Amino acid sequence: MIRFAGRTALSFIIYLGEVAVLMRDTLLALLRGRVRWGLMLTQIAEMGFRSQIVVTVTGAFTGAVFAAQTFFQFSRLGMESAVGSVVSVSMFRELGPVLAGLMVAGRVGAAIAAELGTMKVTEQIDALRALGVQPVEYLVVPRAIALMLSMPLLVAECVGLSLVAGWLVGTKVLGISEAYFITNMQHYTDGNDIAWALSKGFVFGVIIVFVSCYEGLNAREGAVGVGRAPTEAVVRCSLTILVLNFFLSFALNILFPTS
Amino acid sequence: MIEVQDLHKQLGSQAVLRGVDLAVRRGETCVVLGRSGCGKSVLLKHLIGLFRPTRGMVFIEGEEISQLPERKLLEVRRKVGMLFQSAALFDSMTVEQNIAFPLREQGIRDSKTLRERVHEALEMVDLAGAEKKLPEKLSGGMRKRVGLARTIVGRPRCILYDEPTTGLDPITTDSINHLIRRLQKRLTVTSVVVTHDMKTAFHCADSVVFLHEGKVYFQGSVAELQASDDPVIADFILGRSGDTD
Repeated sequence: MIRFAGRTALSFIIYLGEVAVLMRDTLLALLRGRVRWGLMLTQIAEMGFRSQIVVTVTGAFTGAVFAAQTFFQFSRLGMESAVGSVVSVSMFRELGPVLAGLMVAGRVGAAIAAELGTMKVTEQIDALRALGVQPVEYLVVPRAIALMLSMPLLVAECVGLSLVAGWLVGTKVLGISEAYFITNMQHYTDGNDIAWALSKGFVFGVIIVFVSCYEGLNAREGAVGVGRAPTEAVVRCSLTILVLNFFLSFALNILFPTS
Repeated sequence: MIEVQDLHKQLGSQAVLRGVDLAVRRGETCVVLGRSGCGKSVLLKHLIGLFRPTRGMVFIEGEEISQLPERKLLEVRRKVGMLFQSAALFDSMTVEQNIAFPLREQGIRDSKTLRERVHEALEMVDLAGAEKKLPEKLSGGMRKRVGLARTIVGRPRCILYDEPTTGLDPITTDSINHLIRRLQKRLTVTSVVVTHDMKTAFHCADSVVFLHEGKVYFQGSVAELQASDDPVIADFILGRSGDTD
């Protein structure tokens, strides 16, 4: 039992170290200015632009149902006017970044791991090296920049759509006073909440891209290996996002305190 | 041109190479033979720095490459081209983009020059006109030819072939064998061909190395290989497993 726990802890530490090495290599490539802008734009279109539907639909319906549930509970206490502020603060600080992160991990993380995993087992990554190209520079750097830029914007879209949907459901369907809804929302939401959401989006983007690239680049031979890479990527990204979000909230509360 | 000294490679718990010594002269084609899993491809990947040895040294044009950092190795790899067993074409690119890839990486941007060099490489492998095709639309033999065109387009001084005829029909195999020989004459490159196909070995080899249990078991000419009465070599040449029905 102790041996099993020790081995699990050791393999987890090795895993973290290897992902950190990948991040270091990416950072070094960035510092050397080895960025392939064309590939980066392609990845922004692929990972950022094409993730908008998933993220906005998630944000809109979460905002809508959250507004409805908050209304159902708060109306018993006569606090309907607080629905806007609760939806707004929750979506900015927690739900928006986490939900966008989970959706992007599912869509983009799986795609990255599957693509790089297939390249690995079909010797395309060895071919890159044999042709004098560093795989990290060619494959990881453009994806890393693309997702680090896209993710905060996707979070912003997710939160934005959730607020619109929450407002629609709250004021047009459930009859909350529009003035109270908006005023309270504005009163309790400020620049710190926006910074909070964008910061989390950026961090989650970093996690998704590096964990997924690592899983793809280290895929094992055969159909099972390639199949396992995206599964592992999505599971690890999702769990990391959920766990890290807890600690990140405490850290961000120091950086961007609640006013 | 290529020299390997006391090369050892441990992969996990398995000692794949156990002290390989090898020398290939400039302009020569050396065929490396051996049973599946005997370490032929592992040896080949050491020659281009895709693997680092557990022990031993690898010299390319007199430069020891086994301890070079990855960035220095990239320069060595511009001198040495490799045809992979699966051809390893980039499946998101057309044939033309695949072949132009190493040229673009060398900084050639002029589209006319790129088109000419791609066309010239495709002509050498008898595939002119296939520029716009995607790898998924190509047969196994065509993929190998495109892979070879991508390898030679950068004008390497040495070409490494990893199982160039595996999985191909006898006619295509013969055509690839002729192509290897023709390229060697036309480009005067040094070649190392890893195979277990005896027809490829007899057709292409100036010298033969036979790997057995991670070591060089035989080194010599094709004639010497054929004349050998060593049972391990004779069984391999004749394809005798020793099993009965």
